[in-house]
Amino acid sequence: MIDIVLVAAVVPTRRGVLEQTLRRFQSGGARVLLACLFDPAELDLPASLAQARWLVGPEDDPSFDRRVRRAEPGRQMWIFAERDGVFRRRGARADVLVALDPRAIHTVWQLAQRNRHADAVYGLTPAANAVQARLANPAHFATRRMLLSMPSPTLAARGVLRSATDRGRGLARRLAGKRIMRTRIGRGIWRTVVTAPGLSDTRRIGLANRVYDSMLRAEQVEAATATAVAVARKVRDTRRRAQLTSRATAAELAQGRVPEHLASVVGSQLSLADECLRRGDAQGAGAAVSTASALLFHRGIHFDVLSSPLVDDPAGFLAPIYHSEVGRALAGCRGRARAAKPPTGRRQRILFITRLNDNFLGEIRARYATHPDCETRYLDLDSDPNTQPLTRRDSAMISHILAGDSAYGHEVTEWLKPHLEWADTIFIDWCAASAALVTLIDPGPTRVIVRLHSYETFTLWPHMVDFSRVDDIIFVSEHLRDLTLRAVPALVGPTAPRARVISNAMELTKLPRPKDAQARFVLGLVGISAVAKDPRWAIEVLRLLRRRDDRYRLVLLGSDINPRASGAAARYLRELEREIGELTPAGAVERWGHVEDVPSALTGIGVILSSSVRESFHCALVEGAASAALPVARDWPFFAGRDHSARTLFPADWVVSTPAEATERIIANTADEAVWREQGAAASRHALTTWDWNVVARDYDRLFFGG
Amino acid sequence: MTSARPHPSLPRRRRRSGQPTPGGRPHLLYLAIGFPPAAKSCAYRMRETANQFCALGWDVTVITICDQAWEREFGLDHTLSEGVDPRVRVIGLPLFRADLETDIRAFPEKRTLNPGRWLTELREREQKLFPEPVFGGWRIELERALLRAHRERPSDLLLTTCAPYVNLAATVRLWDEEQVPYAVDFRDGWSVDVIGGGEAFPKDSVAGRWESRALEHALAVWCVNDPIADFYRDRYPELADRVRVVRNGFDPDSLPDPADRATPAPDAGLTFGYLGSVNFKPAFLESVLAGWRLARRDEPLLARATFEVRGHIGAGSAREDNAHMELLRAAAPDGVTFGGPVAKADVADTYGRWDAIVLMLVGGRYVTSGKVYEVMASGLPVVSAHAVDHDASNVLTGHPLWTGAVGLEPTALADRFAAAARLARAATDKQRTTGRALAQRYARAAQIAPAAEYLTALTVRSGVNSAPQEVAR
Repeated sequence: MIDIVLVAAVVPTRRGVLEQTLRRFQSGGARVLLACLFDPAELDLPASLAQARWLVGPEDDPSFDRRVRRAEPGRQMWIFAERDGVFRRRGARADVLVALDPRAIHTVWQLAQRNRHADAVYGLTPAANAVQARLANPAHFATRRMLLSMPSPTLAARGVLRSATDRGRGLARRLAGKRIMRTRIGRGIWRTVVTAPGLSDTRRIGLANRVYDSMLRAEQVEAATATAVAVARKVRDTRRRAQLTSRATAAELAQGRVPEHLASVVGSQLSLADECLRRGDAQGAGAAVSTASALLFHRGIHFDVLSSPLVDDPAGFLAPIYHSEVGRALAGCRGRARAAKPPTGRRQRILFITRLNDNFLGEIRARYATHPDCETRYLDLDSDPNTQPLTRRDSAMISHILAGDSAYGHEVTEWLKPHLEWADTIFIDWCAASAALVTLIDPGPTRVIVRLHSYETFTLWPHMVDFSRVDDIIFVSEHLRDLTLRAVPALVGPTAPRARVISNAMELTKLPRPKDAQARFVLGLVGISAVAKDPRWAIEVLRLLRRRDDRYRLVLLGSDINPRASGAAARYLRELEREIGELTPAGAVERWGHVEDVPSALTGIGVILSSSVRESFHCALVEGAASAALPVARDWPFFAGRDHSARTLFPADWVVSTPAEATERIIANTADEAVWREQGAAASRHALTTWDWNVVARDYDRLFFGG
Repeated sequence: MTSARPHPSLPRRRRRSGQPTPGGRPHLLYLAIGFPPAAKSCAYRMRETANQFCALGWDVTVITICDQAWEREFGLDHTLSEGVDPRVRVIGLPLFRADLETDIRAFPEKRTLNPGRWLTELREREQKLFPEPVFGGWRIELERALLRAHRERPSDLLLTTCAPYVNLAATVRLWDEEQVPYAVDFRDGWSVDVIGGGEAFPKDSVAGRWESRALEHALAVWCVNDPIADFYRDRYPELADRVRVVRNGFDPDSLPDPADRATPAPDAGLTFGYLGSVNFKPAFLESVLAGWRLARRDEPLLARATFEVRGHIGAGSAREDNAHMELLRAAAPDGVTFGGPVAKADVADTYGRWDAIVLMLVGGRYVTSGKVYEVMASGLPVVSAHAVDHDASNVLTGHPLWTGAVGLEPTALADRFAAAARLARAATDKQRTTGRALAQRYARAAQIAPAAEYLTALTVRSGVNSAPQEVAR
């Protein structure tokens, strides 16, 4: 029996080829071990074809993680592999060792030093050839196994050499170590070195990357970015220059800082895209735009911090896009052959489209599913595994828009065209990938409605949607409309769709229920998974309240912030945890986590908070108000002082500017139970008569049927 | 053309040892990387060229790279060598493409640690010697090999065929040191961007300077089609009368016997086929397969049809393991199969089993591809999957079984697949005969013979010391 060990550091993209080769191995009587650095379930291969082994590192071992991080790309897998006894043993007696991707080569190379009789090859076809050769001449290979039973004699020598080299590297590391990088002189010297004349691009970039990483480790993020930008000026190749600065900028963005050079770095990526576009390389242009977009709309500066440069000056911040050729090409109007036309002689067909998130569509779909004047269908673009990958190829989407034609575009058309042909009206929830995908296609006489909630404004998506093919754009609040119209020029041009504001669809009548008397001193904050919700503001309110009356408590509902989202998010969460930790022993803060039955939970909450820096509408506050909790809304800083803001959305007395003001409002309205209940009832009445679905549905009827 | 004086490119002073022996056979050095048994499409042209010179009385020494080197790339086809004149001497240089090595034991550790960086550095090193990635590093060895071959047996003419373009460096070296007259079979040219159209690099770039220098003294510059020839005539007006079109043409032994062909039985599924290297982008193949899928869905004649793809896919570690293979496998439910390469000796049988041919070609007006002639001469309906403004369209115009070029839009391609299916069922003998007859002028021998005769007349029959003769162009 032939023993084969396949090694893969990344999920093989050609799964079909892999499966077919494994079947050939199986039919030749081979035994296969597939060792990988990812969950083997991702391959979805029949277990009978290969024994899969996931090479994992020790849990919670920072030194191991550090070692992996510092290792060269090829060695990283070997660090995992060499500690896996089963893998080592199978590798030592295998007949054929196979690397499936570049990052697996070194691991196979290492095994080959220890197992000298095995074939060690890169790629599936060479592996199949090696197996074939062994099947054809088993005697030859049996002799070879006998003669080469010992590991390579150079192996031990190499080990000694490596330890000596490591010492040399260690010295270089110390010279560029954290301690030196924390000094201005140290940083200055290294900056001089990496920008010195006479270095080749390759050497300069290699050195700059090491210096840059070291500065990051020393938490000198700004200096690291400035060094990378200075080095980039010396690099001749446009692509490598853009890569260098983009990498540096991304690291600073992840820390939640707006890099000083952001505009120029984004500009250089867009110049690269323009260059690609001019020479007809739409794919290259698409990739460069994707990179520029990842920087410009990095969550570290829009979502995981308490401000966003886009809000202060949308036109200035997005200028690199507006001024690039690719930006203009993306915003180009392809138009439609025919104007939208309502059906005659039959019910209107409405197609609701979303991707993954249908949280805000429930009431709307339910109403029109049974409405006598229409028939409806629903399409979640993520639901079909065959077409779902099309929704994730942002770069292909950009390339298609830039090139005007592509195989990708044809696939999308083939998929969505029948849906468009069926519908008289398409309602696309979220002005994101779904809207960009659908507007790749001329909708013919079908009317297209797109609803934008909030986060989309801080992404490239609205700049990729062809609004000349959209009839109506719906915003859920006026302040989001104002901001988006300032950020997206295509929404104010001559081919812009009608802009309407319609509140979110919420079934509020189920919420008013008798509240417990103790709820009077319970502050509730529903939804804390984003930094923009700023729960630390609510903690500050609680602190101020408890200075005057320690009966006040805060309950937090919903899942926590994901610390892996970015360095900025992790930093915020650390601070939040610290503050919660201080208050928890006294029972002042409780975390209820995800709650299924919100109406019941709200019976225990007497004051509902909106502590966010940015909201489009804040359903949770309105639901709390409908439940007769006392609403206290922060004047969301992103919009405060503008024509429209929290102050124009809610009754004036609900809105406060500071934690101190919030404290005053809460004390004034909860000191007495009767006052609290009276204020709660008033808030509930206002919510029900303004935002309940019975009221808002009339706006949707007008949207779909006119009048 | 009548020449009143010796050709300006002929050396004024005879090289030291290159004088042909009176009454002996002249010696041609043929620098042809890709010569049989390399399983490459250029091997057919090279084989015919060497054979033609042999037939014209030359002793031919071919310089190529060794068989083991080809095994790393697209492999070997020994049936190709069977058709090489036995008098042709072949020198196989041990020049290997390190990037295609798949034996990890042969990898330096540095390569295993960071294959991407290793490859980048390799490419940089290669281009330090000559401005051509992948092959630039072969310059020194090629120069030495040509000088060695010439010094062992003085040559009267060097015929260099590109790609790789690094061959030009060795050609120039032999000229500089030994004044051996030479011609360049430029095929697809170098400074012309045959895929995108226009100029690939300017005249004053490093590559541009190499090209100018190499062509300056060339007796002849052969190109595979008129657009490329015109490009070179425009770029180098002083060379205009030395640039000539030598089309690739087809080999009659690759064609199926018309007598064996019968109209497919009505209940039998049709077989469409593509034969050639799959070297276009995956998106290109995706479009063709999408067109095929639509056609099979909508055209009853294609309901049980199959589409057989034959040829080389990928090289080195990616051989038959790349995005194209994945696409082909995913298209298996649509009757698409991949059967690997076809030996030259089996090409006729392969065409003989097919009912229609799919011609997938990249590029545009500067690209003809040798396949188009073979496809035309096969007498089978042809589905064109290439740009409308493609030189293949010029060649195929007038072919009664050609369904026209419609670009790569899947619905348009589907329509052409359906049209070819109808032709496969209904084509008359007359139509097939007309198609084959139209292709006759593109027989490979007929294309290369005049060019070889011209060079023979120019270098041997005229000679440096003899009176100039009339030579046919």
